[in-house]
Amino acid sequence: MGTMVTMSENRRAEGQLDQSPWNRASEAFIAWRSGDPTAVDELVATMTPVLWHVVRAYGHDRQASEDVIQGTWLGFVRLHQTIEDPKAVASWLITSARRGAAAHARTARRAAPVQDETLHDALPDEEPAEETALRDDEASRLWGAVASVDERCRKLLRVVAFLDRPDYHSLSQDLDMPVGSIGPTRARCLAKVRTALTKGGGR
Amino acid sequence: MTDRDADDTAQDLALLEELRTMWVTYDPPPPDLTATMIAAVAAAGLDDEWEMLTLVSDSADGPVAQVRGLSTSRVLYFNAAAGWSLEAEIDGTDVKGQLLDHPGDMDSVEVALETRDGASWTTGVDEVGFFALTATPTGSVRFAVTIGGRVARSRWLDV
Repeated sequence: MGTMVTMSENRRAEGQLDQSPWNRASEAFIAWRSGDPTAVDELVATMTPVLWHVVRAYGHDRQASEDVIQGTWLGFVRLHQTIEDPKAVASWLITSARRGAAAHARTARRAAPVQDETLHDALPDEEPAEETALRDDEASRLWGAVASVDERCRKLLRVVAFLDRPDYHSLSQDLDMPVGSIGPTRARCLAKVRTALTKGGGR
Repeated sequence: MTDRDADDTAQDLALLEELRTMWVTYDPPPPDLTATMIAAVAAAGLDDEWEMLTLVSDSADGPVAQVRGLSTSRVLYFNAAAGWSLEAEIDGTDVKGQLLDHPGDMDSVEVALETRDGASWTTGVDEVGFFALTATPTGSVRFAVTIGGRVARSRWLDV
């Protein structure tokens, strides 16, 4: 293995302990806009795992999720110049991924008119995450509790869990709920999970 | 905020953290996903896109200066992806040139010379695209052209 360490790797190593993905993303975006062509790889490496969780919140299988994430990055290639505030690049990407995921869900529903939950169950996956979770009792109880709450709650919690500074305004439009209700809704959804955990014989 | 509210919020954040850990652990992104996305972005040409002003001729590279008799000046010619071009001549502290083939309003156009240390000199263009500014660039410089709020920059050039 070679010993060369790229600037991007240096930035990542330094930033891992004390920086959120959002800071790393905006720093990489600023560096790239300032003329460091390697910095865009850092941006992609930082935000792709976050986009994965956001897109999976919509119940897509692995292939569909990858398609949506790739679509998000290709949209970024086309439209990055419209991002006026470099600090907003993470929010921009997450919003774009959410909308891509929602649009893909609508297309999938048109192709096969079934309910989301049915669709989610029917879609093949290399190993359904809930089966993996069954290997671990604690995780399995948590997973079961999340699976027992309504779809809107599941979606909201998974998206919010991966938002550092939730962009409630655009989130409210996508989830069709008033801006002011997202915080309380998050609290209610978490309460439902907590109740389900209790009913399941847990804490 | 009451103590109880604060406890609730702390509990909510703790549960949210548990959920995040659960999703990260049990539904992680496929191991090759990031590499696939880096390749997709590279294939889409983004690496090249930041150099929106492409240098197509530089008197320092060829006989242009001799032909024009501009022995002390450097003449640069850039093409922009949007179709317009920028011709610029740097002669000591005098920088002048013309924006060519831009069909739109010249009032919204700004031309800037930037250095790596953050110095920049900016000017507008006249009705046919001519510009002139006085600058004291040292080291690497680049041109930045702003049209309607969008900026096209060249790569760094040593002067």
